[in-house]
Amino acid sequence: MTLTDTTEVARSSAENMHYMPAQLTIPYTLTPGQATGIFIAELVNKRLLGSRHGDEIIVPAQDFSGSTGEPASGFVEVAPVGEVQAFTTNAKGTLGLVLIDGTTTPFLHKLVGFEPGSLEIGTRVAAIWSESPTGNSVLDLAGFGPIGEAGTFEPKSDPEGLAEPIEQIDYTMTLDFKHAYGAYYGTLFDGVETGRRIRGSKCSKCRRVLLPPRAVCDSCFAPATEWADVADTGTIQASSVVHIEFLGQRKQPPYVYAEIVLDGASTRLIHIVGDVDAERAKTAAAPGARVRAVWSDQHTGSLGDIEHFELIEE
Amino acid sequence: MVNSAQTVLSPSWPDRQHIDLISEAVVRVLKGTGIRIDDVDFVIDSGSDFLDGRSISNCGFLGAMGAHHKEESRVEEDGLWALTYGANKIAAGSASVGLIIAYSKPSESIVSNFWADMLEPFTQRPIGLDHESAAALYGQRYLARAGLVADDLQAVSRRAYRLAVSNAGVDLDAVPDDEAFWSEEVSSPLRRADFARPVDGAVAILLASPDVADQITARPVWITGMGSAIDQHFIAAREPDSLPAATAAAKSALRMAGTDSAKDYDLVELSGASTVGELMVAEAIGLAEPYSAIELYRNETASLNPSGGALPADVIMATGLVRVHEASSRLAGRTDSGDIGASSALVHGTGGFSMQNHCVVTMEVAS
Ligand SMILES: [Zn+2]
Repeated sequence: MTLTDTTEVARSSAENMHYMPAQLTIPYTLTPGQATGIFIAELVNKRLLGSRHGDEIIVPAQDFSGSTGEPASGFVEVAPVGEVQAFTTNAKGTLGLVLIDGTTTPFLHKLVGFEPGSLEIGTRVAAIWSESPTGNSVLDLAGFGPIGEAGTFEPKSDPEGLAEPIEQIDYTMTLDFKHAYGAYYGTLFDGVETGRRIRGSKCSKCRRVLLPPRAVCDSCFAPATEWADVADTGTIQASSVVHIEFLGQRKQPPYVYAEIVLDGASTRLIHIVGDVDAERAKTAAAPGARVRAVWSDQHTGSLGDIEHFELIEE
Repeated sequence: MVNSAQTVLSPSWPDRQHIDLISEAVVRVLKGTGIRIDDVDFVIDSGSDFLDGRSISNCGFLGAMGAHHKEESRVEEDGLWALTYGANKIAAGSASVGLIIAYSKPSESIVSNFWADMLEPFTQRPIGLDHESAAALYGQRYLARAGLVADDLQAVSRRAYRLAVSNAGVDLDAVPDDEAFWSEEVSSPLRRADFARPVDGAVAILLASPDVADQITARPVWITGMGSAIDQHFIAAREPDSLPAATAAAKSALRMAGTDSAKDYDLVELSGASTVGELMVAEAIGLAEPYSAIELYRNETASLNPSGGALPADVIMATGLVRVHEASSRLAGRTDSGDIGASSALVHGTGGFSMQNHCVVTMEVAS
């Protein structure tokens, strides 16, 4: 079957709006540095530290003033009490800008323990310390609550016995996605799922068959709206035996990765060549070797439905 | 600027990939100009790996951008910065035709994570700060200082949605009639209607040196001024109810253009991440006195955001460049809607967490 009409391509996808869910989890070892490292380390001691920069006193302590660039001339210990300058409440709770007594820049943190409607601009608040501090989080200070009996004092310069800065904070960033296949990938994956049929799109100018199919040829920037069937057999153009282990790896090394040009396609597909010993792969899966798709029992509608490629031994 | 084009901006393009949106904008921007992709010397694009869900995402989009075997560079900032990058390349004489592209599909990810992941991770991110609470902290202080209440902000948001309904480039059939949208607090004191609505889309601008531009169109839009500036990162340490970085960006652009005031421009397109953000931008660039920009909206100002602006259609990373498309289309007479006889325009874009960065570009046509 050949389609030359783009509107028909679009229609076929509208019936099958496929998404690929994806999650990226990226681990980090974050370095808070001197001022932030000491600021966080001192929270378990229930001490709130600011930094002095000329006339400015900033809480949380900073190495440099964000306003003037002035380096800190030293730490100051401040009373863990202050006044609310602004606040906002959402489904997760309330955040507020608290101007700690004796400082010049407000401190943004959670506001907790207030009756609805009791919080106002100007409300006096005091620190609420975590009951289960971890020693490496700003949440060792749980937030600020009603002032109660808490007293205040003038900022104390150069406090003694400061903790060593936290050197490292482990953090994992997790990002969730829902990627749309679109008309072209959607048609390919529908065919793979239901009939083990692989289709590319043919460039109207250079006549190359692009796999995965796309609307515009990468090289010519010409439309590629014609479908072309591609076989599940092909030729290796390059291969590599992977020995290293890395994060997110789906297969235990060693395994063989190859760039394969499927019969009828003009572009390379990267996939795994299975059922071949790593040592033997160096010659057997070399450029020019012929391979055939081994389809899995799963019908997920992705190129993962190809378990791997196997060598077609002469 | 010799041509511009965009896809429809829609809350969701479930049946199209990034590459489909990008190639539509690029095909359309070249159409009718006589410029073929081979004539394009360089491509500068704008997008975000975090939104796209892949690292160095532009590498996978090069074919759709027509950047094959060309100089290509990516700006991880609103597309308006990409425009200034490209304009500088041409002004420096190293190229004559450039393609500027910006795109995003925020519908594929979780927008609040995208913004929160920009934050300093030690003292701001763990407490649950997000872009809406940051805008709301500005909001509470701005409203108090300006003597306004949250309901007053509907002068900004309702106008924006009304204009977007008549903007064929925005996928919006009617002004939302959902009461909660307008009245229910999302992050007090702001409501859903006060926050820019994320949309998917792509936009492309074709830049050319003067000799080439004159061959392509009788009405090229000339870039006359450019400026950008950045505020400090910590939201707590920024000014409580104003945007000095937007002021600095506008000053720099106006100085380059040789004009005195943003009021000298026939048309102004602003990017506000929130209603309060849009008011603060209008004041920062000099369209209104501090804390009085609401009057621009109460007394219909036809020259301000006739497209509806960013509130009903925030193509995160592309919103500022969409403003250029809107403004330059009107100046060049390429749009049939809202021709207000303008011959000069000022465009503003923003980026970073809670409008930390600002960029201003001025432009004109021979009248
Ligand atoms: Zn081609």
